[in-house]
Order: sequence, then C-alpha cells, then structure tokens
Amino acid sequence: MPQIDDTDRIILNRIQSDFPIASRPYEIIADDIGLTENEVIKRLAKLKKSGIIRKIGGSFVPEKLGYISTLCAAKAPEHCIDEFAAVVNRYTGVTHNYLRDNSFNVWFTFIARSMAEIEANLKKISEETGVTNILNLPATRIFKINAHFNL
Amino acid sequence: MLTTLEKKIIASIQTDIPITERPFLEMAEKIGVSEEKYLEILENLCAKGAIRRFGATIRHQKSGFNANAMVAWQVEEDRIDTVGQIMASFEAVSHCYRRDPKGDWPYNLYTMVHAKDKASCLETVRKMAGKAHITAYKPLFSRRELKKTSMEYFFTDNES
Repeated sequence: MPQIDDTDRIILNRIQSDFPIASRPYEIIADDIGLTENEVIKRLAKLKKSGIIRKIGGSFVPEKLGYISTLCAAKAPEHCIDEFAAVVNRYTGVTHNYLRDNSFNVWFTFIARSMAEIEANLKKISEETGVTNILNLPATRIFKINAHFNL
Repeated sequence: MLTTLEKKIIASIQTDIPITERPFLEMAEKIGVSEEKYLEILENLCAKGAIRRFGATIRHQKSGFNANAMVAWQVEEDRIDTVGQIMASFEAVSHCYRRDPKGDWPYNLYTMVHAKDKASCLETVRKMAGKAHITAYKPLFSRRELKKTSMEYFFTDNES
C-alpha cells in the first residue's frame, strides 16, 4: 500500500462524495481544510499517479440515462475461463467482471439500452463460447449503494 | 429525456477531470460551452439524480481494503425489507440489492462486503448473518479481476 498521510486522508474523504462543482474546486477544498490550492493539486496529482485515486468524475444512475443494468453469473469450465472472459469483455456494456470461487465462477455487470439487448448479447455469448449456463440477475430493489470508503 | 448538451457533459465526466486550477473550464472548452453553463448543467444533473455521485473513485485495494466478497443470501421474501436494511446498515457493506432467484440458484439478496483481509471480511459476514438470522448464504470472494472499467454512456449514440 502506497504511503498516505493524514492530510491525504482528509482530502480523499472529502473529494469522494463532496467534490465542489465550482470554477476552482481545489481552491474550495484547500480553504476548507487549511491548505493552499497548489498543495491540494500537488497531493491529488500524486494520489492519482500512485493509483489510489482511480478517477475523478461522475457515477451515474443508468436508468436515468435511458439504460438498464444487470448482474450476470456464468458457469465457465476452469480450462477456458480466459477465452470466455475475453468474449464477454468485448462488450463495452460489461464494466466489471470477476472470477469468483463458486461453480458460477464468472460474475459480470452488463449495462445496455434494454433488457432485450442484454438477453440477445447473452445468447450470442453462449453460442460463441458454448457456455450456456448464464444467470441474468437484474436488481429488483436497491437497499444501498455507497462507494465512499472512509480512509 | 436528456438534451444533446447534457449528453455531451455526461460523456465528458465519465473519464477524469483534470487536476488543474480550472478543471471545468478545460472540460467546457472541449465541448464548446462556457464554464458557467457547464457548471450549471452539471449541478442540475446531480440535482435530478442522473449523476449519483460526483467525485473521486478510490482504488480500495490500494487504500487498505484488500478483501472484498460478494455475499449471496437466501432470505425469506416476507423478511426481505428488514434484512435488506440490516445488511445495508453495516459500514463494511457498499452495495445491497435484491435480485430474483433463478433456476437452481436460490439467493435473493446480494451485498458487497469490504475489509482489510479475508478473515475480517468473513467475520463481518458472520456478524451480518447473526444479526439478520440468515443461515443460507454464500460468500463469493473474487479470485481475479477480469475487467473493471467505467461505462461509456452515449459513446455510440446517434440519436442526438
């Protein structure tokens, strides 16, 4: 784990969920925590470079943009996981894909314009890979989404 | 539903904003609007809920959260609200969703649980199970990341 100090921690906790939408956002953050704008920028650049910050940008609600999202789980034979993943990952709507310890071993999220499009793509994936056991598990209820990590 | 300009702004903040004094000015110039207009629309997209969160995304593995498990729970349907709320109340839980069971897969509640290592992750999972009185569940630890990107909304959009 790369070294971060308490000031980094304060900045990171702040900018995960309360990033100022303003002309000079880093100046606002700096004023709030008693640093100079330049120092905040320097620290953030470093945190970005070391990979602790993946990105600074937006997280969206797909449904509000005219998209739908789902979670899929596939039973891929152990010896062809990489080939199967390569086919699945070709779709730009597949944003997260993890190999997990279970007979349903490949778990991926799929975002598209409609459920029909997702179903059609899953069918194509099955035809191309021979992996026919793919569960499509759309969320029917959301109890929590919170990607804020208290550091 | 969304204007062309709104879509352009959404597309622009799917990747990184620059770490410079006037990041939004740079973004606005790229799509040919004033910084003021850009900020106004961005603010509005947040207010109407199209943007869930604007800010930094942390690579949690690099910040000390080394283990994460997706836990699939089998919950009696008439307790799903109560159990969903109990699970969501754990700080270690980042996501909690209900999904329909399918075929031979009986699980209907899903949580993402984060911790510094596998052992403490499992300990949290056991606490969750105890508090919610659930005995049928499967912690699915990730063995390998096969892909992790952000969605490119309106990337191949011809309708605007």
